[in-house]
Amino acid sequence: MSETAARPFAGLRAWWTMLSICIEERLAYRGDFILGTAMRFLPIVTQVFLWTAVFGATARGDIAGYSRDDIVAYYLLTMVARAFSSMPGLAGGIARSVRDGSIKKYLVQPVDYVGYLLAARIAHKLVYYLVAALPFAAIFFVCRGFFPPLPDATTVAAFVLSLVLSFLLGFFMEATLGMLGFWFLEVSSVIFAYMLVQYLLSGHMFPIDMLTGIPTGIPGVSLADLVRWLPFEYTAYFPAAVWLGKVRGWALVRALAIEAGWVVAMALCCRLAWRRGTRRYSAFGG
Amino acid sequence: MRRYLGIFLTFARACLVRDMTFRANFLLECVTSLGWMSMNLAFYLLVFTFTPEIGRGTGWTREPFFAFVATGLIVNSIVQAFFMPSAEELTEMVRSGGLDSVLVQPLDAQFLLSLHRVEYSSLANGLVGVGLLGWAVSRFTAPPPAIAWLLYPLLVACGVAILYALIIMLAAATILLGRNQSLYDFWFYLTNFSRYPAEIYAGPWGGPIRMICTFVIPILLVVNVPARVIAQPFSAGSWTPIGGAVLAAAVMLVVSRLVFQAALAKYRSASS
Amino acid sequence: MDNSPSAAGDATVIRVDGLAKQYRVFDKREGLAASIRGLFHRESRVVDALRGVDLTVQRGEFVALLGPNGAGKTTFLKLLSGIITPSAGTATVLGHVPWERADAFRRRFALVMGQRNQLWWDLPAAESFRLHREIYRIEPARFTRTRDELVELLDVGGLVNRPVRELSLGERMKLELVAALLHEPEVLFLDEPTIGLDVVAQHTIHRFLRHVRTERHVTVVLTTHYMKDVAALCERLVVITRGSILYDGSLEGIVDRFTSHKIVTLDLDETPDRGRIERFGFPCEIRGPRVTLRIDRDRIADVLPGLLRDEPVRDISVEDVPLEEIVAGLFRGASAAPESGA
Repeated sequence: MSETAARPFAGLRAWWTMLSICIEERLAYRGDFILGTAMRFLPIVTQVFLWTAVFGATARGDIAGYSRDDIVAYYLLTMVARAFSSMPGLAGGIARSVRDGSIKKYLVQPVDYVGYLLAARIAHKLVYYLVAALPFAAIFFVCRGFFPPLPDATTVAAFVLSLVLSFLLGFFMEATLGMLGFWFLEVSSVIFAYMLVQYLLSGHMFPIDMLTGIPTGIPGVSLADLVRWLPFEYTAYFPAAVWLGKVRGWALVRALAIEAGWVVAMALCCRLAWRRGTRRYSAFGG
Repeated sequence: MRRYLGIFLTFARACLVRDMTFRANFLLECVTSLGWMSMNLAFYLLVFTFTPEIGRGTGWTREPFFAFVATGLIVNSIVQAFFMPSAEELTEMVRSGGLDSVLVQPLDAQFLLSLHRVEYSSLANGLVGVGLLGWAVSRFTAPPPAIAWLLYPLLVACGVAILYALIIMLAAATILLGRNQSLYDFWFYLTNFSRYPAEIYAGPWGGPIRMICTFVIPILLVVNVPARVIAQPFSAGSWTPIGGAVLAAAVMLVVSRLVFQAALAKYRSASS
Repeated sequence: MDNSPSAAGDATVIRVDGLAKQYRVFDKREGLAASIRGLFHRESRVVDALRGVDLTVQRGEFVALLGPNGAGKTTFLKLLSGIITPSAGTATVLGHVPWERADAFRRRFALVMGQRNQLWWDLPAAESFRLHREIYRIEPARFTRTRDELVELLDVGGLVNRPVRELSLGERMKLELVAALLHEPEVLFLDEPTIGLDVVAQHTIHRFLRHVRTERHVTVVLTTHYMKDVAALCERLVVITRGSILYDGSLEGIVDRFTSHKIVTLDLDETPDRGRIERFGFPCEIRGPRVTLRIDRDRIADVLPGLLRDEPVRDISVEDVPLEEIVAGLFRGASAAPESGA
C-alpha cells in the first residue's frame, strides 16, 4: 500500500503533466462530458418519483427509518459517494491491455503500473470534480429542502474521510478485478457481474437498511447483516449514512476502521494479483 | 421487400453462427442479462414489502405492476436484440471508416446499419418477460378481455418502433458528430423514464416530465400503453392512448428516417 | 459480363470537372490554457482536400493515382464512389452522379480499401460472399461461376471456409478482391490494395488485376504508394499533390517531362580519379571501380563515345532516373510550395 501510493507523489512533475493531459482530454470531449454528468442524475429522478409514489400509497411516515425527504437526500448523497468510488473503465482497461499486449510497455518502463494507474485515476477524478462541481452544486442547492440541517464538524470530517477511503477501496477492488485478465481471456462478463453485485449491494439502488427485516435462513442474521459483512456498502451507502447521521459515535469509528481495513486488504490483493499475474504473463504470455 | 428479408435472414444466420462459435460467451451474456433483470425484480419485490400499490389509487398493485415490468422486458429485449447492437457498432464504424463500405453497396443504408447484427442473448430477457406476464396475468382478479390480447402485440410493436426511431436519430447524431461516446449512456438514461408507470410523474416537477416524455419524446408511450391495455381495466377511455401510441410510432419513424437521410448527406467520412 | 456502353453512350466511364472538396477542421491546441479557452470557442479553418480536379477515364483504362499522404487521393476516390459529396464541381461515373447513391450505380462498381476489412471478421469469407449475393441480387448460377473462377485465379480455395480472423493480411486482401468482384463490376476503385503485403502476395494481386482488366474489361482506378504497383499495372499515371493534379499521362511521359538526364553506370578497371570523371557528367557515386554518373539527356550521344574511348570501361548501362526518385522529387517540390487557401 505505502509503496503503491507513495511513488506517484514522488514524481510530482510527471503527475502534473498527467493531470493537465487529463484535463485536456476531458475538455476535448466536453460536449459528451457535460451531457454525461447531467444525465447521471436522471435515474435518481425516476427513483425519487417511484419512492414518492410509494409514500403516497402507504400511510406510514417512514420506510426503514427513511422519510421521503431522507430518501431523496440519500440518493443524492450516494451520487457523491459514487463520484468517488466508481472507476469507469479501470478494470476493463487493465484486462484489455493484458489481452492486446500493451501491458508489456509497463513491464519494461521504469514505472510501477498500479501506482501509475492510481495517479492517473486521481488526476482523472480531480478533473471530474472540477468540472462536475457546478452541476452537483446546482442540484444540491435546488434540493436543499430535502436535507436535514447541516451535521456537526466531526460528522462532516468523517464523511470526507469515508469518501477518500471509498475512492481507494473502489480503485483497488476494480484494479484487482482487471488483473483477472492475466488468468482469463475474457473478463468482461466478470466485470459486468461485479457491477451488478456492486449496484445492488452498495446501496446505490436502495438504502441497505431496507433489507433489515428480510430473513436469510441463518437464525438471527438478516439480509442487511449479510450485506454489511461485505465491502460493497462502503462505496455508496456508508458515506450517505454518515452524512444523514445514521451511524454515530463509536459505531462510526468502528465502521471507518473496518473500511480502512478493507482498503488495505484490497490493496494487498491487488499487489499480489499484479505480482502473480506478471510472473505468469512473462512465463506464458507474449 | 423479399430481397431485404433475404438479406436480413443472412445477417441473422451469420450472427447465429458466430454466437454458436463462441458458445461460452453467449451463455455468459444470457446469464448476465438475466442477472441484471432478476436484480431489478428483486428490488420491486422489496418495494412491495413496504407498500401495496405504487401511487395511491393508480391500480398498480403487485401483479399489474409485474405485468408492466414484463412488458418493459419484452419491448427492451426486442430492441436490444435487433437494433441496439448495430447502433452501438455504428460509432466504431464511423470512426474507422467502415461506414464507407456500407455506403457503396446498393442497399438502403439505414436498413444495413440498423439491422446487420442480431444479439440473440438479449432475447433471454424477453422470454422471461413473457413468462412473468403469464404469471402476473394468471393472478389478476379479472382476466384481460380478448381485445386487450389483440391490441397488446400491436402496441408492443409500436413501443419497439418508437425506440427504434430514437436509436436512428442517435445514430444520425453519431454520423454528424463523427463520434459520440455517450450515445449508449444517453439511451440508457432516456429509456429509464419509460421503466415506471406514467402515474408516478405527478406534482410540479412530475407533470412537465410526463408531458415532455409523452408529447415531445414519446418515451412514456413505449411500455405504458401496452401495459395499461393488458393490466388495467379496459374502457372507452383506453382508446385515446392507444391511438396516440400508433400515431407517435408512425410520426417518429418518418421523422427519424428524414433525420438519418440528412445526416448521411452530410457524412464526411474518416480521413484517409 | 455487361459490356454495354454506359448511359453516357460513349466509351467514357469517368468524367470529372472542377471537382473540389473542402473540410472544416477544428484546431486542437496543445496545452491546458488553450483547452480551457477551447471550451468556449473553437477555432476552425477550412482545408482544401481537393481543389478543382478534371479527369476523364475511358472504358478499360487502368489509372494509378499517386501522391503523398494527405494529397487528396482517397478523398477523390471517396467522391467517385459517392461516399462523400463535393463542395464544387461535377462528376459522372458510368453516367451516374456518384453521390446520389443510386442503386443502379452502386450495383456497377466496387470499392476495395486495403486498410479496411469489409469481410465478416468472425465468419468464413463464404458467408460474406453469400451476403454479397443477396445484396447485389446475383443470380445463383452466375454467382457460383464467378466465385469459383475468382477463387481459382487467386488460389484461395482452401481459405473461403476458414474464419477471416485466422487469415493473414495477404489472404484477407485476396478474399476482399473476390468479394468485390462477385457482382462483376464495370469499375473498380482500389485504395492502396497492396499496403503491408509481402512480395509474393503483391505479385499474385498484380497478376490478378491484370487479368481482371484484360479478360473482364474492368476500368480500374487505384491509389498506391508503391511504384511497383504502378510499373506492373498502369499505363496511365495521375499525380496528385495538395489537392490538384500535377501530372496526368503515361509512365514514360513522366520521365521525359520531369527529368533532363539519364543515369549511366560504369564498371571500370580501377578506381577512377574524380576530376577525370567529372568531365563527362556529375558523379553521383564512386564506389571502387563502379561509378554512377548523371548525364544530360541531350548530351548523352556526344559524351558516351569519348567516355568509352578514354576510360577503361568494362561494362556500361544507361538508364532512366528511377520512377521512385522522380515521384519523390515531385512530392517534395509540392510540399515545399507555400501553403495557400484556407
